[in-house]
Amino acid sequence: MSQEVFQQLVATTTGVLLLTAILQVWGRSLVRSIGLLAVQGAALAGLAFTVGFHAGEPQASLVALIVLVMKSVVLPAALLRSARLTGETRERPAALNPAVELIGAAGLTLIAYIVGTPLVGDNPDPARQALPVGISLVLLGFWLLLIRRSAITQLIGFLVLDNGIATVSFLASSGLPLTVELGASLDVLLVVLILGVFVVRMQRQQGHSDITELKELHD
Amino acid sequence: MIDSVVVIVVHLVFALAITPVLIGVMRTVRARLEGRVGGGIVQPWRDVIKLFAKEPLRAPGSSPVLTWAPLLLMASSLVLCALIPLVSTLPLAGVPGELFVVVSVLLLGTVALAMLGLEAGTAFGGMGSSRHMVFTALVEPTVLLSIYALSVPAGTSALAAIVRSRRDDLSSLLNPVSILAIAALIVVVIAETGRLPVDNPATHLELTMVHEAMILESGGRDLGWLEFGSWLRLTALLGLTVNLAVPWAVAGDASWTALLVGVAATTVKLVAAAALLAAVEVFLAKLRLFRVPELLAGSFVLAFLSVSASYLVF
Amino acid sequence: MAALILLPLTLPLLMAGIGFLFPKAYWTLALPIISAAALLAVGVGLIIAVQASGPVVAVPGWLRVDALSAWMLAVVGAVAVVALWGGAPVRSKSKASVGSFTALLNLFLGAMSLALVADNVGLMWVAIELTTITTAFLVASGEGRNSLEAAWKYVVLGAVGVAIAFLGVALLSAASGSHSETGVSWTSLMAHAATLDPAMTKLAGALAVLGFATKAGLAPMHSWLPDAHSQAPAPVSGLMSGVLLSVAFYAILRIQAVTDAAVGPELMRTLLMTAGLLSLAVTAGLVLTQSDYKRLLAYSSIEHMGLLAIGAAIGGELAMAAVLLHILGHGLIKSTMFVLAGRISDASGTHRIDGVQGLLRVRPDLGAPFLLGTAGLLGFPPFVTFFTEVAIIVAGFTRGLGWQMALACVLLLVVFAGIARQVLAMTLGAGVRQQGRPVWWRRLPIGLALLTSAVLGFAAWPLAGTLLAAVGALGGVR
Repeated sequence: MSQEVFQQLVATTTGVLLLTAILQVWGRSLVRSIGLLAVQGAALAGLAFTVGFHAGEPQASLVALIVLVMKSVVLPAALLRSARLTGETRERPAALNPAVELIGAAGLTLIAYIVGTPLVGDNPDPARQALPVGISLVLLGFWLLLIRRSAITQLIGFLVLDNGIATVSFLASSGLPLTVELGASLDVLLVVLILGVFVVRMQRQQGHSDITELKELHD
Repeated sequence: MIDSVVVIVVHLVFALAITPVLIGVMRTVRARLEGRVGGGIVQPWRDVIKLFAKEPLRAPGSSPVLTWAPLLLMASSLVLCALIPLVSTLPLAGVPGELFVVVSVLLLGTVALAMLGLEAGTAFGGMGSSRHMVFTALVEPTVLLSIYALSVPAGTSALAAIVRSRRDDLSSLLNPVSILAIAALIVVVIAETGRLPVDNPATHLELTMVHEAMILESGGRDLGWLEFGSWLRLTALLGLTVNLAVPWAVAGDASWTALLVGVAATTVKLVAAAALLAAVEVFLAKLRLFRVPELLAGSFVLAFLSVSASYLVF
Repeated sequence: MAALILLPLTLPLLMAGIGFLFPKAYWTLALPIISAAALLAVGVGLIIAVQASGPVVAVPGWLRVDALSAWMLAVVGAVAVVALWGGAPVRSKSKASVGSFTALLNLFLGAMSLALVADNVGLMWVAIELTTITTAFLVASGEGRNSLEAAWKYVVLGAVGVAIAFLGVALLSAASGSHSETGVSWTSLMAHAATLDPAMTKLAGALAVLGFATKAGLAPMHSWLPDAHSQAPAPVSGLMSGVLLSVAFYAILRIQAVTDAAVGPELMRTLLMTAGLLSLAVTAGLVLTQSDYKRLLAYSSIEHMGLLAIGAAIGGELAMAAVLLHILGHGLIKSTMFVLAGRISDASGTHRIDGVQGLLRVRPDLGAPFLLGTAGLLGFPPFVTFFTEVAIIVAGFTRGLGWQMALACVLLLVVFAGIARQVLAMTLGAGVRQQGRPVWWRRLPIGLALLTSAVLGFAAWPLAGTLLAAVGALGGVR
């Protein structure tokens, strides 16, 4: 793969990652947010393949395939199923003004770029140059966890965070060994499935899945 | 000098010729997707010709604004079409193609429309104008910011030069800065041209309408100018967006072959973009009015992010 | 020898399979106890083997046991035996799904063993995430909204925290610049610590510690801990408080060893000292007003994790050996206490401190060990916690961390007063004798655990070699 094509592919996939994350903060439709998650997963798989292939790793396409199937098909499908089971297709009314949410998202992305720039240094490697995108995805995932009330959007926030971490790991070290990648994907899948079960139980017990209503336990 | 004149003439003729076709394509696509036959692609031409043949009726006691606002809108739209690199990226001699000039020309047309709406003195007109101004206050900074983000890597704020540098350096097309800026631009272009989900161009008497509310009191030739001027704005903004997003085959000089290729390419891109826009509109519902600022604020954030990212990365 | 390492990984899996096959059989409760006992035996065996002939490698780059892992395996085994044996629910209270309950417990034990024997950094991360997954349904096994709320907070915070740790792990492997098939192992990181990229290592270390500290229940990432530990069934609380926190802490120790060797001890010392003092402060602030005795015990766990963090921040042979011994002492006592708390709540039907009075008179079989165990938690002699806490504080003073140690002492005193007041209110006072003394084999693990933790302090000399070897596995004295 030539350097230009590599640079272009890294720029494109990271661009899609950042855009989908911002759109997830912006939009309030659960179904659309899950769709964006699938797009994000596909971009992540593309990034994994690009970086791995460029580094000459033989397992690059296999890792990318695992990421694609997990993050772009299985996890969004599981989330969609949870959303259907609980009958929630829209986010619950926000605690914050939507403009504040967006400005917060913009601020966090800026912070990610400011924090990430010293890490990049004067490294000309395009993969390193894109590192701030991964950090901003992590921060945007945290932001979603903070501002959203519906349990399913919390799950989406967790997955965005996880995608950000995967992005950083692909960009910084061109990925971990296949076994670890596989184990990590399986772990995330299990966490999401468990939380999905909890969401359905929550819906049965209290008729909604608003996690701000979970405040029985305190000191 | 001659080249510049040629390019301006080509731009104007191209814009005048393609605009009604574009509107026709959009209406037809929408009609077909909704299961209707539609008026055909050339129907907008017939509408405009019919309107121009009619004498305008103006309320007694109305001020000259009613007369010259449609002409001002038309004129500003034509200047816009001449300045925006629709077909060729040749820098125009003696005419500034600066981003800020273009945005102020855009604003001129907007103000003309708003004053027209107020002039009529009816409730509808006032409502439309005030809404239009609220949207404009959010749209204009976003247009400026998003194109500004694209101008940072190019190192110039002249639109033609930005399109040219993007055409020559294809790697800048899909990086995070560019993707964010184009996404922001698409949203504001939709808002500025009054398409769904911001404004419904197909309504004629609704409490929520914006564009139609302002031109409700005009008729005949005046309405013709207003309609055609608004359509030209759509062409110009859509053309700018597609040429920024996919700047392939845009002419670099004023040679006939390059211009021909440019005209053909831009036609294809514009028609495709218009068809896509119309097809997407079928699936959208109009946003509640107070949710529109939320949408525009979102696009402003995208544009802001792309500017800051462009400074931090490049 | 290498086969010994595989036993604690495969045996729990096998036992879990059996548990799933007999979902309604009461006798499946014995399966995790067998696994735990095997873990203890393997741990002791490996301690001897490592002392005789150095670290044992099962799969190069993936599974390796050094003195520290062997010690931790033995600790997990010992504590798990106490928690599972003592906490086994009585037949009438056991639910229909007892088989899957024990199967999850087995998987939990297996995941902890994997985390301890993993040499590969990524594999250890996967194993620690697996501990969250296997305990999720155990925490949520109670009825009603509270256990669901606790489990939700536990899984979300645990998963997010461990995800942050993954960021650290990924950056650590980036800092090492290795592209080998198996990724980075602790052995190779320690061997090539000097060549690590310093800026990247600092960031990676800080993130990894932050992530694993969430799992270890260190303040300010502790908010899930009191909820989860108070809502889970007794044996699960005992296991989570006694060893799961320590397994996460073990990960912090490994990260600390690498970053200390690469960029010097200042970064980790600051981080761990801050987290430790903050944990003590949080406990001190909340035990005074606590009204739920299971939550009281959970906060006591935060306090002890804070103490461990302070010990690790101090560093040096004395403090680290004390930290490792404290893990064992705290684990034994805390699992006993949770088992007793479970029995108390069965007998009294409430979790509230003011709902229980005169326990020494009402149920001396519960009150006496509860009081003794509290004394152990608070660090009374002759319990081993007394010696380890004194050792940590003394080591801190000799290292010149004067004001931190003074602050820690003040906070410990507040915690001491708070817990003592609450427990005395539960145990002293008048009451009418009630029946319900459990059978001898249910009382035995309680007595054994308390006896061990009381004797351990005096019998520490045979362990000295083992503990120093374990400290040596962390890169020796700094």
